[in-house]
Amino acid sequence: MGEIQYIGEHLLPGKLGHLAIITAFVTSILGVYAYAMATKYRAELDKTQSWKRLGRGAFIVHSASIFSVIGILFYLMINQYYEYQYVWSHVSEDLPMRYIFSAFWEGQEGSFLLWMFWHAVLGLILMRTAKKWEAPTLSIMNLVQLFLVSMILGIYFGDNKIGANPLLLLRDTMDAPIFAQADYLSLIKGNGLNPLLQNYWMTIHPPTLFLGFASVTIPFLYAIAGLWTGEHKAWLRPALPWALFSGSILGTGILMGGAWAYEALSFGGYWAWDPVENMSLVPWLTLIAGIHTHLIARATGRAIRSTYIYYGLSFVLIIYSTFLTRSGVLGETSVHAFTEMGLEWQLIAFIVFFLGFTAWMIGRTYKSIPRPKTEESTTSREFWMLIGTLVLLFSAVIITIATSLPVFNKIIKYFDPVFEGWVITDPVPFYNKYNLWVAVFIAFLSSVAQLMRYRERNWKKHLRKFGTAMGISAAITIPLTWLIASWTPTYNWQYTILLISGVFATVLNMDYLIRIGKGSSKLVGTSFAHMGFGLMLIGLITSGLNKQIISSSPFVMEGLLTNMEDQEGWRKNMLLFKNTPMLMEEYELTYVSDTLVNYNRTYTVNFKKKNQAGEVVEEFNIYPMVQYNKEYTKIAASNPSTRHYLDRDIFTYISGLPEVEMNFQLRQEREDSLNYRTFSAALGETLVIRDTAEIKGKDTSTIRTYQVTPLAINRNPRNPDYEREKGDIPIGVTIQVRRLDKDSIFTVEPVIVLRGQLLYTYPSQIDPLSARLRVDESIFERLLVPEEELEYEEFELTQGQTFEYAGYQMQFAGFNKRAEHVNYEPEEGDIAVSSMISIKAPGGQNYMASPLFFIRDNKPYNLKDEIPAEGLHLRFIKLDPQKETAIVWIAKAQNAFEVPFQMATDSFSSNWIVLQAIEFPGINLFWLGTILMMVGLGWAMVIRGREKRKLNKAEKNQPIVPEEATLS
Amino acid sequence: MKRIYIIAGVMLAVAIGVLVSATGDMSTYTTFAEASNSSRKVKIAGQLAKDKAMEYNPEKDPNYFSFFIKDAEGVEKKVVLLAAKPQDFELSEQIVVTGKMQDDTFVATDLLMKCPSKYKDEEVTIRIERG
Repeated sequence: MGEIQYIGEHLLPGKLGHLAIITAFVTSILGVYAYAMATKYRAELDKTQSWKRLGRGAFIVHSASIFSVIGILFYLMINQYYEYQYVWSHVSEDLPMRYIFSAFWEGQEGSFLLWMFWHAVLGLILMRTAKKWEAPTLSIMNLVQLFLVSMILGIYFGDNKIGANPLLLLRDTMDAPIFAQADYLSLIKGNGLNPLLQNYWMTIHPPTLFLGFASVTIPFLYAIAGLWTGEHKAWLRPALPWALFSGSILGTGILMGGAWAYEALSFGGYWAWDPVENMSLVPWLTLIAGIHTHLIARATGRAIRSTYIYYGLSFVLIIYSTFLTRSGVLGETSVHAFTEMGLEWQLIAFIVFFLGFTAWMIGRTYKSIPRPKTEESTTSREFWMLIGTLVLLFSAVIITIATSLPVFNKIIKYFDPVFEGWVITDPVPFYNKYNLWVAVFIAFLSSVAQLMRYRERNWKKHLRKFGTAMGISAAITIPLTWLIASWTPTYNWQYTILLISGVFATVLNMDYLIRIGKGSSKLVGTSFAHMGFGLMLIGLITSGLNKQIISSSPFVMEGLLTNMEDQEGWRKNMLLFKNTPMLMEEYELTYVSDTLVNYNRTYTVNFKKKNQAGEVVEEFNIYPMVQYNKEYTKIAASNPSTRHYLDRDIFTYISGLPEVEMNFQLRQEREDSLNYRTFSAALGETLVIRDTAEIKGKDTSTIRTYQVTPLAINRNPRNPDYEREKGDIPIGVTIQVRRLDKDSIFTVEPVIVLRGQLLYTYPSQIDPLSARLRVDESIFERLLVPEEELEYEEFELTQGQTFEYAGYQMQFAGFNKRAEHVNYEPEEGDIAVSSMISIKAPGGQNYMASPLFFIRDNKPYNLKDEIPAEGLHLRFIKLDPQKETAIVWIAKAQNAFEVPFQMATDSFSSNWIVLQAIEFPGINLFWLGTILMMVGLGWAMVIRGREKRKLNKAEKNQPIVPEEATLS
Repeated sequence: MKRIYIIAGVMLAVAIGVLVSATGDMSTYTTFAEASNSSRKVKIAGQLAKDKAMEYNPEKDPNYFSFFIKDAEGVEKKVVLLAAKPQDFELSEQIVVTGKMQDDTFVATDLLMKCPSKYKDEEVTIRIERG
């Protein structure tokens, strides 16, 4: 197909993008080498400077190339150039601009670019601020980038692809007959962003998480730099703010994921121990462990080896996490893994390389890493902190191994094809069971260790202070725990201990900050972080353990499940018929209405809380939403709606809908298959309709009698499904229906619309009668009487004048200068007047007609009014301003007018929703706790950063000393 | 020997112990035949029997959904899920149900579906041709 000259393609940006990718790749190799040389010759000022210059140049060009690739891809996406496969897969005409970022990082290639973007930004910051660490850190940064750029390289070696290029042309990636046409571009449409991802979380969560991922690299770079240069202590100071920054940002990224899940997805919670969540948590745990050994190393010179190991591990785990989510190996165990892209082996190479590299770097100089000969005293802070980091590591190991089960399965299957593979039967209780104890230990350690001092050997001197602080906290903890437990029970002793530990950590760290630390700004970071952890645990108990599904259905299946335990717990859903209140806990729920805008259908469900006297004490609406797919044939997503209180949340979402509401195609088929019968009656005339209905399950039928009365015709009808467009001719018929065996009378208004050449019907459903009515299309012929068939009689009328026409008593009530008419659209300069004529029919009915007369561009026009029930047509032909008279034409149609309509009595209700509601008590404690943790980490970063700058300044003012001398 | 190493060693031992004992929380995908002989919760992976009727009548009970799946040995059994019918259920290729056998019915507490990706190439080609 190479010879086809395709029309309308934009090939230049793609070519530039390819060039930028190649440049980024090549410059990263150059950067590794140049900065490595600069590190090697760091003792020789001239040599190192010139290598450094080369390295800087390379990294600046590298970063510029990355930014260019991103810029070009954005440009292509914004302009919807569908000749590019990535654009076509992620953008569509109807995608709102605000989701362009989400679309950008929806795919693997885009998210790799996002990751590289942050590396480039952080690398440039390092270049400006890292001083003597610039060369070794940036050399490794280039090495990491080398691997990342290779993921989007898209080069083939024989049959082996290296990387997936985001700038490939659609016609090169796919074989389809359409590419035989030169103008294929004008025929294709974009695929667009998955509706599930069309929310603002998708805009803010990935950049934060990837900044977190990228920031984990920085302490790793410093660690490698320390190992490389042999300056095992000097790197600790500049690396610490970075590590704290990373802990804070990565933590925030993970939490945003939880918040997204809770706010916008329907699984009902913020943490589900999903493999993808686990694998973003694990690097954070090891990073936090690393930060603690880092602090020990700064304070005492111990634990430098552990710090190396933790930072190395965190970085490798980030890549491992990437591998798990992007290789497709998780398969059915995870809900949100990317689809496979054939990058598995490349990702494995990435992991293996950096695992080996880090191990080699540590192993090479392991013996020379300084450590004090003496042992930590058990009364010292560092001893307990070290144990704390081991607990974190323990948790990380358990989670990693359990999450990696699919990987092990795959490996075993490779050797033993009949192996079936292991899965964790119930993941959530499994993970909870072990991490509960991790949390308890961490909570106690993070409070007790706060009260200890580094290098403490003289314990006795300190014992009193320690005892007092413990005593105060214990004294507050016990009643407080009791209070919380009486609000939200803990059910068993393990959870009680967890609650106690959470309360204790909160209280002690607060006491530590206020009483012992006297609010010192240096202590705010650590106190906040640990207090936050304690609060988070309390929040987990109250909202996680006590989350309660409050929706349940009164309909119980009998017999089937007699011997199943806890079966009540599974009954989670509630059926709500429209406008039929149902009781749920203390609330009265009513499904009130729903509206469809584009693909989103929003339901309004009203909650009322009544007191004993039956008065409404609280009332609010919730708005759960469902999203249709593009064809409106299924629900793509169900978005929850949450009522927030200070002390709890009520979380609801739509868990089920009638099939005809989920699939509009099916709805049409169902509509077509209904047994409609056509009737016709004059307005006000009552028809008696009989119909036989089979009695379910029995071999007999019953006869039902309906009384149906068309009451009025409305030329400006309102129907919830109908939105009026310009040029429409809508007709609504008000019809009253009564079934003789039921008392109620129902009034409905089905609508029929003529739009251009097409007819649209909007039927009305009467659920209690299973009846459905619609207007028959012949109404147009009957209603739109040709003018030539009418014989008008002319009247000249003055205000108040009464007259008679064909047995009708009429009176000209006067002019209306603010005239309105269904078919009249005012324009500027119009002069419009209607004449109001009241009519009394021979049968006694009263009507009001207001035909319209208007002058536009000095020409007179008129619009007639009609009384369809009587077949009367009225026109206001002329206005005589001097005599103040109106010339009015009136005609009566020959035939008596009858309303044709159709009725089916086998249309069953689709006016219901299935709702699930979950109560989360104290969920704000969880959010508050987690936010405090991140704020604490951020605060510590700022404080440590200031220290660093101060020292830098002090150093500048001193004479230059050889690097070795600054070591101690 | 440093104390911290001893503690690290103890923790390592605990971790191994935990992981060994965790095998009790794990299972392989079983079949209906094995599930009948087990009183524990098991997981069965199978294919939806599309020719057999699915039953979901929210008007009667919004928490009762039944269908048939065929397990690895080709045995077809009725499965009852005590929850609302999941979206896209008909499209699923493979279904994993967690639960217990009860007489001749498998009562599931949890259900996982593997659906063909929404944006896979097959759908894509059709779309182009239609366009």
